[in-house]
Amino acid sequence: MLSIKNLHASVEGNEILKGIDLEVKAGEVHAIMGPNGSGKSTLAQVLAGNDTFEVTAGEVIFSGDDLLEKKTEDRARDGVFLAFQYPVEIPGVSNMQFMRTAVNALRHHRGEPEMNAAEFMKLAREVSKQVDLDPAFLKRGVNEGFSGGEKKRNEIMQALMLQPSLAILDETDSGLDIDALKVVSDGVNALRSEDRAILMVTHYQRLLDHIVPDFVHVLADGKIVKSGGRELALELEERGYSWLGIAEDEATEASSAN
Amino acid sequence: MKPAPTLSTAFLQPAGQALPAPLLELRKQRGAALVDMPLPTRKTENWKYSSKRLKLTEEMAISLPTTGKAGSALAVPGYKVVFTNGVMIPEASEYPDLDDISIQRFGELSEAQARDLAERLDSTLDMKTVQFAGLNTARFEDGLVIRLNPNAVLDQPLFIINEVTADASGSAFPRIYVDAGANSQITLVEEYISSGQEPVMVNTVTEFTLAEGANVTNIRLCMDGENVQHIGATGVRQQRNSRFESHCMGFGGPLRRHDLQVRLEEQGAECKLNGVVVTQGTQHYDNHTTIEHIAANCDSEETYRNIATDKSHAVFNGRIHIHQDAQKSNANMNNKNLLLTTGAEIDTKPELEIYADDVKCAHGATIGQLDEESLFYLVSRGIPRREANVLLTMAFINELVVQIPVEAVRETVHTRLNQFFDQAFQEV
Repeated sequence: MLSIKNLHASVEGNEILKGIDLEVKAGEVHAIMGPNGSGKSTLAQVLAGNDTFEVTAGEVIFSGDDLLEKKTEDRARDGVFLAFQYPVEIPGVSNMQFMRTAVNALRHHRGEPEMNAAEFMKLAREVSKQVDLDPAFLKRGVNEGFSGGEKKRNEIMQALMLQPSLAILDETDSGLDIDALKVVSDGVNALRSEDRAILMVTHYQRLLDHIVPDFVHVLADGKIVKSGGRELALELEERGYSWLGIAEDEATEASSAN
Repeated sequence: MKPAPTLSTAFLQPAGQALPAPLLELRKQRGAALVDMPLPTRKTENWKYSSKRLKLTEEMAISLPTTGKAGSALAVPGYKVVFTNGVMIPEASEYPDLDDISIQRFGELSEAQARDLAERLDSTLDMKTVQFAGLNTARFEDGLVIRLNPNAVLDQPLFIINEVTADASGSAFPRIYVDAGANSQITLVEEYISSGQEPVMVNTVTEFTLAEGANVTNIRLCMDGENVQHIGATGVRQQRNSRFESHCMGFGGPLRRHDLQVRLEEQGAECKLNGVVVTQGTQHYDNHTTIEHIAANCDSEETYRNIATDKSHAVFNGRIHIHQDAQKSNANMNNKNLLLTTGAEIDTKPELEIYADDVKCAHGATIGQLDEESLFYLVSRGIPRREANVLLTMAFINELVVQIPVEAVRETVHTRLNQFFDQAFQEV
């Protein structure tokens, strides 16, 4: 489904991604771990099409197409979804208006009829319960005044509404207490299916207790330095990053940053 | 040094004599006072950005003909009075005959009523700063005077449709005077529209006096065409515990100028002034507001938003003057501006002049662009870029649009905004 080859990306002349290779098949869940500044979030943003980052080399094939050639909105319509690490607050645009516009943009793309307000509300209410958000939040501005946990749950809610084929979760576990982590994990697990791939970017192995990945990759200094099964995450938890030759201070910084 | 240009005397020839003698006399006096009136230049502080947009040709000095019929049949959900080229069209107007509210054209006034009105006209405005209001007084051919007796409540909004038919060059001088008695209530909607393509000037004055406890809502929709230079003034005087609420919705043109002056003259008076302006192409819109806190314990709340795209230009100048006796004044002014292109320009100037020592006074002004991060967030969900732009731009002003208390006006505003968005954001 997703094939990344020798991907290089820079921001303002600084190279962040220095040759990423990654193969993700439908039905798989991949976790990308690594210290802060290793390029995890950059990879997520590049895949979603954030043009703050300049791709300087490499290719990304998604469902047979050159992903990098496509505009952000077209990537989304083709099934790419990014759950943001820091979802933006947009006062003045209600969550309902935002999500309904997004749902209908995708339906329009697929040649399906638009959802009317009543149909949409019914669906939105159900899904908001699934992620434990009070449906009243639909009337509020997008993420406006939301707690960190509410923002993350809202991201998962959007994924559930939009049913992407590739869900990229950028630090979706950060800032969550145990209960919220459970809710978010249940939401992500509900997304798991044979025709969908999930790419999780995370600092911590604790998320992986709830969402068991098929593969774990360690990213350091813009490259994947180690790949393995879920046992790799456990090993990282026990031994830290240093045994992989990643500077101890970088790793320490990573685990203290949240 | 070149002498400053003055207003052509051709502009001081009023048309129409169907007015009571005291009003004809007032017109004559004002006209005489305007001989050699200097036209604003770049050096005229309160016309600094707009003087070059003022293009008064000799052809525009003539009063646009009184057509006797309404140019467009507008259905409004309430009472309506239709003016064409500054003269009322009774056949197109519909309003109730009430005991406690009188709605009269100037020409219908008795000699005594006209004498009383002549003394009141221009009294709500600082005429030194709004010279064009003086020109209106020198030129009006008709006008509407609305008087609400104490405790009178107009049960529906009153729409005043001011249309100019610009089939030839000329000018029109619509005039409204509202006298709201104690504890009376009215919602007045002023709509300025035009037909025809010739260059014309519309010079308006609307005045309100609010007696104790009166509650007046004024919605002003400025929607004239691209050939219309619109120079308007609104003056408000408020007595004890009265409340004035204004919603000015402006769409740009070659020149749009609106001066709004509010005087809080007795304790407990409060005003809320909302304004939204959108400009595109090479349009220009200039809002100047002044709030005079004269008495103690008065509140003012002002929120204006400008959106400019292409090579257009929007100006906001908000002045709050807190007089020495106006202790415990509460004044809040906020102006936010959105530039959609690098070629557009917005100038904003909050002015606070405070002579009392126990006041709460806050002001804020910002100029910015659409937030790239928000835009990325929206398109990353598959929302078309154009729609994302519209959502964010609408979000910038929606807070003010939803506050307009008349649904039909909100719909009109949405329709006009959609036209603006269609041109501002092409599909990419």
